[in-house]
Amino acid sequence: MKKTAFLFVLSLVTCFAFAQKKLVTTSATISFDATTAIDALPKATNKTVIASLDTKTGDIAFEAAIKNFAFSNPKIQEHFNGEGWMNSDKFTTATFKGKITDLTKVNFKKNGSYSVPVSGTLMIHGESNPVTSTATIVVNGKKISTSSNFSIALEDYKVKGGAIGAGKVAKNPTITVQADFN
Amino acid sequence: MRKKVMITLFVLLALGIGGIVYVFNLKYADSKEEAADFTVNATTFINEFATENTLANKKYTEKIVAVSGRVSSTEQADTTVNIKIEDSLTGNYIIFAFQNQYLKEAKQINEGDSVIVKGSCSGGIYSEILESASVSFKRCTLMEKFK
Repeated sequence: MKKTAFLFVLSLVTCFAFAQKKLVTTSATISFDATTAIDALPKATNKTVIASLDTKTGDIAFEAAIKNFAFSNPKIQEHFNGEGWMNSDKFTTATFKGKITDLTKVNFKKNGSYSVPVSGTLMIHGESNPVTSTATIVVNGKKISTSSNFSIALEDYKVKGGAIGAGKVAKNPTITVQADFN
Repeated sequence: MRKKVMITLFVLLALGIGGIVYVFNLKYADSKEEAADFTVNATTFINEFATENTLANKKYTEKIVAVSGRVSSTEQADTTVNIKIEDSLTGNYIIFAFQNQYLKEAKQINEGDSVIVKGSCSGGIYSEILESASVSFKRCTLMEKFK
């Protein structure tokens, strides 16, 4: 009897473990492009973003260290991290917590490219706002790649500065997110 | 008098334009050629961030640091590769993203290799996703690799 109960509990735990498939990478990339007609420099990429995807619940999360956005120009990077812009000494990370709102749009067990709706909360510069976007999920065997493009209004995140007003930094930069889970 | 004012204005304008052109064309130095501000062992370095995060961030952030340690894993980062050195006991880790001209070096590094990697330290953060601390680097280059 005891053995049967033990096997029952073990099978339940095993099923639960397989059902809750949380994938994690520490090398997702986030790029932003705030270039304008008069300044081609305000754009950067962070290649060490932490990301997770739960294929059972559709939960998605990202964490990016602000200081690891790499610019080509040292002066722009200094401005980006400074108190007038991102104030990265105080606001060290940008985060996104959300989920795939319609999991029927993707089959993680079948190879293919799927377009899925995603919504959640984006926190930048200590300010949180709701974000809705469409993400592309590519399933190729055990590898799952996710990507999304959207734009944000810097004003919503209280990111201000003379360069934005002067038209050197776009008021609505484009954000590109890419995460490969193996 | 008027001529003097015109010349002064012209010189100031030329200096201003020169300054803008100079700033716009600034580039980061080649990390291989930059002198390291600190040379550290990976395990000691990770522990420093884990125990005294604020002090460690103040000491190392935006400094050029050469780190020696054994590679725990390599990870695909879009079209490039990152190198990771992890403390297996705590899950805390250091991650290195390479400078554009040295992306090929990263692809030649394998799990288990002992390396010295040099780059710009971006400081440490605590991850709620991983429930562990991480220290990230940008503009890295491989200084040495031992089997």
